[in-house]
Amino acid sequence: MLVSKVREALICLKAGRVTLGYPFAPNDPKPGFRGKVTVDPDLCFGCGGCANVCEAGVIVVSDREQHYRLLEFFWGRCTYCARCEEVCPEGAIRLSGQFETATDDARDLCMRLEVFMGPCQRCGRCFPPPTPLDKMMTTGFRHGLEGGRA
Amino acid sequence: MSTEHERTLAAVHQVAAERSNGSLLCATQPHSDTLHFVVDRSAMRAVTGGLVDHLGARFLISVGTDRRPLSGDFGVLHIFSLDRDHLYVLVESPIPADDLRIDSITPVVPGAAWAEREFQDAVGVRAEGHPDPRRLLLPDDWPEGLYPLRRDFPYNFRPPADDAARPKLAGAPAGASVFPMGPFFPVLEEPSYWRLFVEGERIVGCDTRLFYNHRGIEKLGDSVLTYSAIPHLAERICGICGFIHSTCYCQAVEKAAGIEAPRRARYIRTIMLELERIHSHLLWLGIAGHILGFETVLMQTWRIREPVMWLCEAICGNRKTYGMNTVGGLRRDLPDSVRPELLRVLAEVEKEVVAVREAVAGDSALHARTQGVGTLSEETARSICVVGPPARASGVAIDARIDHPYAAYDEIRPRIVTEEAGDVWARVVVRLGELAESIRLVGEGLSSIPDGPVCAEIKDEIPPGKIGVSVVEAPRGEAIHFVLTGGDNRPYRWRVRAPTYPNLQALPAAIRDGNIADTPITLGSLDPCFSCTERVETIDRRTKAVRVFSRAELLKMCRARAKGGG
Repeated sequence: MLVSKVREALICLKAGRVTLGYPFAPNDPKPGFRGKVTVDPDLCFGCGGCANVCEAGVIVVSDREQHYRLLEFFWGRCTYCARCEEVCPEGAIRLSGQFETATDDARDLCMRLEVFMGPCQRCGRCFPPPTPLDKMMTTGFRHGLEGGRA
Repeated sequence: MSTEHERTLAAVHQVAAERSNGSLLCATQPHSDTLHFVVDRSAMRAVTGGLVDHLGARFLISVGTDRRPLSGDFGVLHIFSLDRDHLYVLVESPIPADDLRIDSITPVVPGAAWAEREFQDAVGVRAEGHPDPRRLLLPDDWPEGLYPLRRDFPYNFRPPADDAARPKLAGAPAGASVFPMGPFFPVLEEPSYWRLFVEGERIVGCDTRLFYNHRGIEKLGDSVLTYSAIPHLAERICGICGFIHSTCYCQAVEKAAGIEAPRRARYIRTIMLELERIHSHLLWLGIAGHILGFETVLMQTWRIREPVMWLCEAICGNRKTYGMNTVGGLRRDLPDSVRPELLRVLAEVEKEVVAVREAVAGDSALHARTQGVGTLSEETARSICVVGPPARASGVAIDARIDHPYAAYDEIRPRIVTEEAGDVWARVVVRLGELAESIRLVGEGLSSIPDGPVCAEIKDEIPPGKIGVSVVEAPRGEAIHFVLTGGDNRPYRWRVRAPTYPNLQALPAAIRDGNIADTPITLGSLDPCFSCTERVETIDRRTKAVRVFSRAELLKMCRARAKGGG
């Protein structure tokens, strides 16, 4: 009995202090951590592949006008599976290291991205620019900072 | 081996043919380790009884399926395992849609009690002659005649709530008093209600109401999600053994569709499964110490466990919900850069576990609380079909890793750890033994992991109407997933059985004749909680007037208080 109590005490003493300083000291996650989803608006060209594979269905794509496509991320229900990051052809979507996502305002959990698209003259629907040169010409045009900077 | 295997197959066929007495409708072998019999429902009890009596088959789970869109009828399928022969035996009966009943097999297979109540609740096929046909799965205020797993039932339908509904629980036997535990009590995070019948301190019986946490995951799987989305949901079935459920689901689909996961993916699955077992057993050990009031064990085992969680984060990007599994293999490879860290952490964990084991092994205070407590005899464990460490602690040497080798366990052979005593201490010893074994298995897996791709390319659609049964040994016992493939890129029926399902059924036997004070550690729970979530009674001390607050009133008061910031 006594021997085992001494052994138990030794385990505790040897461990020393293990509590981390967080939240008073930073505790950054390891590289590759799957945290809050971020989108680089300069890279996204509105293909909608992310919405296609999103397991939780939190990415919604809609063509609002002939000129722009709206991508909405309701990431409050995101499962952090990183399928969108995997399929994004431009590397625009990244799961960041941000994990402190608690908020008292539900609007913080929604992200809107308006992507300028050249509409087809014939059918009027949006389409991604056909050549890299066209893409350079079109990306960057946004309806102000409010919608564009996600 | 092969001749022995053939002999077993012949024996199973013989039992099925003899016991069904001419009403064997169909016998097929969808996979090398699966036999599928379709018998008339009148012969179901005889055939399943024969499998258990003559061949020592172990009951796994029942699946009730609404097949009206396919063949116009319902189906009830009982899954058995012949552990020594590495064989699953599926016995199925068609049930005509206008006469939904089948003979209950619980009188011959006691372990089937809950499974039959479940399909009774979910698809509405009545189990005739069931000793306890009460509601199991659905809430008490769920209307009669609504069956959520039928195909014509919308997944998002919500029947109106009825706050006055109460579970139909048994009264105390003559001379005994009722001692309520739950539905919420402080140690376990999950609600379960245990009504103990006690004579003084001694427990003479109990009744229970569970499934307060039922989330309708199976329904989502066959109505909303797709094959590739389900692994992410399966992972969330359990907060601790997520990888186990996603692996089990993927294996079931792979088996049904005839997809072979690459060798490297199977090795990585094995390594991740064993890592999960390591951290789960350490977590359990801590909780057990916590329930006994021995907080040092909790603090130290969880400290030892933490680096394993960090390791998982480095491998896949999160402590839990790894998001690695997909049908056909894995979504991410095991990075070579974590290998030295992995080996270093495991060596450290092993050293610490040995120190903890040596320390607690001689602790007589711990022995006094655990030895001879919550004893489960081998006979009871077998008849209720208990699985995992509780079964192995009662001398039932079953382990899905050996009985139905999956992933890379055909090459990395685990050693089975068993005890004879069947009490709580034996379960501690078994888990400590498995901890060391898991550390060895991860090391062995790492040293022999082959190179190559981690995901098979799936070119064709997954064919409809195929069956896949998969079993994975979780830290708590074996998890079972059954998949019947459907045509619209999702399973037609996905059935999940978690290991706690059979183990909880054994608890009434384990706590019988014990003390109330020993129930928490046996049950994995603590103090009975008197906080009544349904209503509160206040008594004015001066006038002795009694006022009862209803649930709605309490809710309103709480919300008003929360809004007021008080």
